[in-house]
Amino acid sequence: MPDTPRPIGSDAPQLAQPRYTPIKRRSFFMYAGATAGATALVLAGCSKDSDTTPASTNTTISLGTGDVGVLNYAYALEQLEAAFYAQVKGLTSTPLSPAEVTYFTQVAAHEAIHRDFLRAAINRDAPGKLLQDLTPNFSGIDFTKRTMAAGDSKLGILDAAKAFEDLGVAAYNGAGKLIKSPAYLVIAGQIVSVEARHAAYVRNLITPGSFAADDQVDATTGLDKALTPSTVIAIMGAFITQKLDASTVGH
Amino acid sequence: MKLISLLDRLAAPSVTAVGPAPRRALLQQLGRAAVAALPLGLGALPAAAGTKDTSFDAVTQLLLLERLQLTLYTQALAVTGLIPAAQAADFQRMLSHQTQHAAFLAQALVSAGAAVPSVPAFDFSGQHNVAANPVLFPNVLTNYDNFLALAQQLEDLGVRMYKAQAFVISDDSQLSKAVLRIHSVEAEHSAHVRGLRRGRGAVVSTWPSEEDAAIVRPAGAQALTTAATGGEENAVQYRAANVKIPFYNFLLSRDNTAIHDPSLAEAFDEPVTSFVAQAALNLFV
Repeated sequence: MPDTPRPIGSDAPQLAQPRYTPIKRRSFFMYAGATAGATALVLAGCSKDSDTTPASTNTTISLGTGDVGVLNYAYALEQLEAAFYAQVKGLTSTPLSPAEVTYFTQVAAHEAIHRDFLRAAINRDAPGKLLQDLTPNFSGIDFTKRTMAAGDSKLGILDAAKAFEDLGVAAYNGAGKLIKSPAYLVIAGQIVSVEARHAAYVRNLITPGSFAADDQVDATTGLDKALTPSTVIAIMGAFITQKLDASTVGH
Repeated sequence: MKLISLLDRLAAPSVTAVGPAPRRALLQQLGRAAVAALPLGLGALPAAAGTKDTSFDAVTQLLLLERLQLTLYTQALAVTGLIPAAQAADFQRMLSHQTQHAAFLAQALVSAGAAVPSVPAFDFSGQHNVAANPVLFPNVLTNYDNFLALAQQLEDLGVRMYKAQAFVISDDSQLSKAVLRIHSVEAEHSAHVRGLRRGRGAVVSTWPSEEDAAIVRPAGAQALTTAATGGEENAVQYRAANVKIPFYNFLLSRDNTAIHDPSLAEAFDEPVTSFVAQAALNLFV
């Protein structure tokens, strides 16, 4: 880790800072062993480069199999969302209203927490299987626009936020059946409803009353969208530099 | 209580299944499997997920919730001037979803060969249809803010109930997939109602937050508040019973100060046990 900066997450300084310090894996596992009296330790970081899939923009990176694959899949999503909101939060000149900035700052914290939580969970339960840090590609987003206007080729901030949140909800909903460990199913449920709240909020900003509109919630069944990992990863592909392979997630 | 295991009832020949009911056998089997797995499973699950409920219990309780919600919105929409015209379509949409969810759950019971319970006579005042009883939820159908406050709590309760019950029925693939997809719709509804309340001056976030102003209720109504948002301040998530995911310390260690950040708790919605949920639902029947 000391040799490469972390492209995603580095933009959320208060959360990301510990990652720049060397891992204390031995201490980590002492904690992970969770004897009740374990002394508080500085969980400086949970990964090192040798544990992660080698970085490359040419090769396809597999998210892995089984529950770890699902967790890495969620981790990829949360990395993307956290990076996006960190950028929104950090804009020196923003098209958003002050109230919206306040709200997106809170959303940024939630997504960074989801990301770091999944990172900790994977490192604890599947050491060495953590997906590498991804590099976002937000060239399709115009951070000077609140929403895209007719004729614009790039998404505005709210359009992108809506796309990411809707995608997150559909991704978690579609991944539920792939999760084998009940504990992870509960955790995924605890995260997805927060994503759904974000989605409803940003949808209402774009079009009041569209919090659960027919393009997201099926008008005949009342069921929210659910997408397979491969479909989600294909959509995410436009926003990340690395190529991911989700074909073995949950298998 | 409706939470007793209904395995035996499902298995009993007195349940009149009309024609082949493939789901019935499935439910029966799953219920038994769930109970059989308990001694092992309980130790490895977050407290909220530990339950003896069967799929039947889960579906029955969720059906009661959906019927409660859809009855509230149906009655509210029928009161002239309660819901502002600008928001009528929002509640029509939510009502439509709830009606679909209730129909889906009722169908699941029918397919399982189980009887669909009759719709109770809901009383949103908390008086249980007895005029002498104290009013726990005043003016729900005459005051828009009071209506919204109850609507928010019931939507929050829905999010938490589906979150918990999705686990109970996780072995039934078709049912589980649908329940997960309803779960996130509940969250979207809750977020919207919370936004409506914020627009009217209430101190409330889009998600349950310790910074939300408490909804003041008589002590007798505490079961609803407990079920809807109790424990949302939880900032520690568990991988298994008593085994924390270390992210909490991970975040707080960043500058060696224990910082209290509401975001940690907000980032995760909490499940509710079916027992606690039932206590809340019982306030209205």
